[in-house]
Amino acid sequence: MAAKTQDLEAPALPLNEAAYLPGVAYDEMFAPGGAVRPHYDPLHARMSTLGGAELAGRQQTLERSFLLQGITFTVYGGGETTTERIIPTDLFPRIIPAQEWAKIEAGLTQRLLALNLFLADIYGEQQILMDGVVPRELVLGAPSYRREMQHIFVPHKAYANVCGSDLIRCQDGQFAVLEDNLRVPSGVSYMLANRDAAKRTFPGTYRAAGVRPVERYPDLLLATLKSMSPEWRPNPQVVVLTPGVYNSAYYEHAYLARLMGVPLVEGRDLVVHDNMVYMRTTTGIRRVDVIYRRVDDDYIDPLTFRRNSSLGAAGLFNAYRAGNVVICNAPGTGVADDKAVYAYVPEIIRYYLGEDAILPNIETYLCREPAQLSFVLANLDKLVVKAVGASGGYGMLVGPHASQKERDDFALAIKADPENYIAQPTIQLSTAPCLVDGRIEPRHVDLRPFILSGEKTIVTPGALTRVALKRGSLVVNSSQGGGSKDTWVLAEDHHANGLGGARP
Amino acid sequence: MMLARVADSLYWLGRYIERAEHLSRLSSVMLNATLDQTDSGVQAVWIALSAVGEPDVSSAVGSFEAAEALALDRSDPNSVVSSLARARENARQVRDQITTETWERLNLLYLKVTDENARRDFAEGSTTFLQDIIADLHLFKGAADTTMSHGESWRFMMLGMYLERAQLVSRLLEVCFAETPGRQINDHIALVSLLRMACALEPYLRVYTAEIEPRHILEFLVFDEDFPRSIRFATSQIEANLSVLARRSASEGAGPERIAGRLKARLQFADINELENQGAGALLTSVVNECARIHEAIYETFVAYPLEMRLPA
Repeated sequence: MAAKTQDLEAPALPLNEAAYLPGVAYDEMFAPGGAVRPHYDPLHARMSTLGGAELAGRQQTLERSFLLQGITFTVYGGGETTTERIIPTDLFPRIIPAQEWAKIEAGLTQRLLALNLFLADIYGEQQILMDGVVPRELVLGAPSYRREMQHIFVPHKAYANVCGSDLIRCQDGQFAVLEDNLRVPSGVSYMLANRDAAKRTFPGTYRAAGVRPVERYPDLLLATLKSMSPEWRPNPQVVVLTPGVYNSAYYEHAYLARLMGVPLVEGRDLVVHDNMVYMRTTTGIRRVDVIYRRVDDDYIDPLTFRRNSSLGAAGLFNAYRAGNVVICNAPGTGVADDKAVYAYVPEIIRYYLGEDAILPNIETYLCREPAQLSFVLANLDKLVVKAVGASGGYGMLVGPHASQKERDDFALAIKADPENYIAQPTIQLSTAPCLVDGRIEPRHVDLRPFILSGEKTIVTPGALTRVALKRGSLVVNSSQGGGSKDTWVLAEDHHANGLGGARP
Repeated sequence: MMLARVADSLYWLGRYIERAEHLSRLSSVMLNATLDQTDSGVQAVWIALSAVGEPDVSSAVGSFEAAEALALDRSDPNSVVSSLARARENARQVRDQITTETWERLNLLYLKVTDENARRDFAEGSTTFLQDIIADLHLFKGAADTTMSHGESWRFMMLGMYLERAQLVSRLLEVCFAETPGRQINDHIALVSLLRMACALEPYLRVYTAEIEPRHILEFLVFDEDFPRSIRFATSQIEANLSVLARRSASEGAGPERIAGRLKARLQFADINELENQGAGALLTSVVNECARIHEAIYETFVAYPLEMRLPA
């Protein structure tokens, strides 16, 4: 059917199950029998009517628009070879039915609530450690644990004001949490930019599908940040703190500051005097109340943390301690997204909320436990091993894809420092259709929704879907060549049927 | 209220944009003037290269190579591509202050001049290439004018632009009319080239007709009240922007607006006879120096002020 409308020279767009060749993984668009899942019907119909040339043209327009907007990261090659590239962005949205999203939303809200209670506890009375639910040394010995945060009052117990959890859809179609990101999660600007692009690329399909909007994120973020400041500071001055223009997420920092209408500051713009934080303006200095920092804990205050850092402001932490400024996310939140603490999150939820986790964890082996360590060492060819302290796809062994030598080397590293490693079974992330070299092919994807937490907890009805662009690859991190695509959360599921003829 | 660092970046954004446009125009006029094999063409090359401070204008490089270097040499901080790269770097620093329309104009232009095919495009159509840059910069200014709020950020950008313009035009005129023996330009075609380099040919013709004389050129480019590239016009814009900014600043003492005010008054009440009696060189040099003093005073007042003065008691 699809072939009739294509240019003769355009590459065939294999949109039937046989040619699309999904692997063993769950596919977002096709059910195992080859039928299109109902919520994908309108998009599938639209994809079939556009020829390869048309799709390639739209893809090009999309990339051009990202380049023009400066949504880029810099590739340094020295001298004139320094170039800027966009993060590869795929044309086709990924669609999530309303009912599935309701579960994700409930699960993430529950999880962040429990993690914030956990943070309040371990930086307060430490009841959970005394009750032996989470090993004391695991928490207090973690490099991301900040004893300086002990007994500091955090409004609404909202330590992680912005959270970006990574979810994956397993082979059985169920979503599971792969990782919590509570420090300075990024990617929300790509979610918003991808949405802009998708609306331009498939306007009719978008309208007909009934997609929930994500555009309110900046004003909800501002409200969340403001809700963290004490009541006696009416109309608080909020700023975004960035490491500067050379940071790979600088675009996002500037974007959020611009859309919230608040200053984008660097450490050198801030001055701390008498435990108050000020910024240096053209008309003198001006008090700052809330800092949405996009700088890691280690760098926010050279007096308290890393001494040689110039990215933060000297004395900032004392001003925070004195209650004169709010830092979001609170320092020390990283201890709750530690890869080893992750294994205990279901227990943490049960401990504080008396409920079972709505979204399951991935089975995780802690190498610090001798029995689990020997299991991991014996099964390196089947497991993914991760260093607890590393992120972004670094310090990681994907057992089934590694050589014997790589596995042997990794085994030595694990034995030398077992506390630093965890292992998980290799999960087949679900696949979604992507435009690759003029063809539509399945690629593995994950899902990063964004959760705001202040006075209220809000899950933005949308997400960044990250894509592993290499065929068969399971690594979606942008630092490892991953891309992204828009994610459509449907308002109501019954919309999905019967709109196969939608046209832009 | 805006961050001091942001004001600094906007100010430099304005300066680099103006510099890029000026250099593109010099480069383009220079290439055009040498299409005819005359001595006037040689003089035009000499004017352009002297005005950008090229130390050895008699060197054997051809005008094409010189124009290409002026436009595309990334190792030369005073080339069009370097100015645009710096303008964009400053714009990136203040991306939250300028509108998307403004940013995209500049980013597009940056991508064009740093593209790997830029040299080929320049070789295939130098004049078109340069005229396109100028046109894109006009679009940038138009986008800024019509989409940005004309508040503090805007004024810092304008301040940078007009300061740079006053200095560039003064230097161009110094090269041609300073009282160095044997340097006075009298040749008609060279004078037309000079007017083109100041983007002033058509407005000049409307005032003085096709009688192109050094005296009139000086009068027009120094004293004209309405022409946006005259030194007087630029100075009064500098003064106007500074006095608005100074009203908001808590600073005391001799602010940059006072230096600018004196310079403006001096140009307002002088005339061409006075200028000729005293010598053009002295006045032009003092404009360049006063602009440098204003620049320093801007830093002391708005950007790098001592904190002790501004902390709460």
